[in-house]
Amino acid sequence: MSRFASFILAVFLVASAAMQSARAGQVERIRVEGELIDTWCYVTEIMYARGSAHYQCAVWCAVGGIPVSIRAEDGTLYVVLRVEADTQNVSNPSMVKIQSHKVTVDGDLIRRDGVNYLLVTQVADDDGVVDLTHEKFGIQPWGM
Amino acid sequence: MARHLLLLLLPFLLAVSMPSHAAQKWGIDGEMTAQFEAKVVDMLCELSGDCPENCGGGKRQLGLLRDDGRLLMAVKSNTLFAGATLDLLPYCGGRVEVDGLIITHPSMVIYMLQKHRKPGAVDWIQATAFAKDWKKRNGTTDAKRWFRRDPHIGEVIGTYGKVGRPDLVPPPAE
Repeated sequence: MSRFASFILAVFLVASAAMQSARAGQVERIRVEGELIDTWCYVTEIMYARGSAHYQCAVWCAVGGIPVSIRAEDGTLYVVLRVEADTQNVSNPSMVKIQSHKVTVDGDLIRRDGVNYLLVTQVADDDGVVDLTHEKFGIQPWGM
Repeated sequence: MARHLLLLLLPFLLAVSMPSHAAQKWGIDGEMTAQFEAKVVDMLCELSGDCPENCGGGKRQLGLLRDDGRLLMAVKSNTLFAGATLDLLPYCGGRVEVDGLIITHPSMVIYMLQKHRKPGAVDWIQATAFAKDWKKRNGTTDAKRWFRRDPHIGEVIGTYGKVGRPDLVPPPAE
């Protein structure tokens, strides 16, 4: 193989590895403290989607298979795709029960195309429903 | 005269130049109708390499991997309060043409699936697979207000209450 062909092959291999790495995303171990929320209602803002006011609706959506996220106190969202060894992330009964809970978790963060995905390795704390928004906003959504 | 004629014809010209199956807008901030082809992937598989058969068989969130490499999670279907996993599952690992909304929020970008079809097919399929599956699972002929009739939801709300705290009484509905 000529020196030029070897050089081209090396460049191709390095570029392929870099692209693969970029696609897969870098994994970062983090700790997140925040509230479990229903991704659809929160992102679309079609109703008030935080705390106890939205608990019932969050249960509906979690059972319906809408992804569950953690909203950190700074407003950052993390889509939960795995909890410890449990890889069921559609209508997972153990996730349904803890909607709107304030939790502290450790996990592997993968960023891809502007979205934070979290593979939870350990649930460090679960404070239950502590954001009592129903006192101000009632039960969301009205009329359903 | 020609200008007036053009103004009169403008709505018609716009109508015929729009895709005939344009998605329905919801009036959400940051929404954009989006019809495109993509590969259907299991999100966890795509991101971590953990890849069970058949994209998890309905137990995993599915995404749309676009030809430019961008990944969009399909968060919602056309059934109230339900996701799009069962709609996209038949296309696992293959290509699909979708019609719906891309919603861009400061915290993330998501996709709402309204219709889908195999590329090249003529007819669109409404993204209501959750409702069909729910009717089958519950032995009923309709899925109206399924979220009020679902036994699992009834059990959770019965145990924890409407606000997630059995010790708290929510205000009466207005």
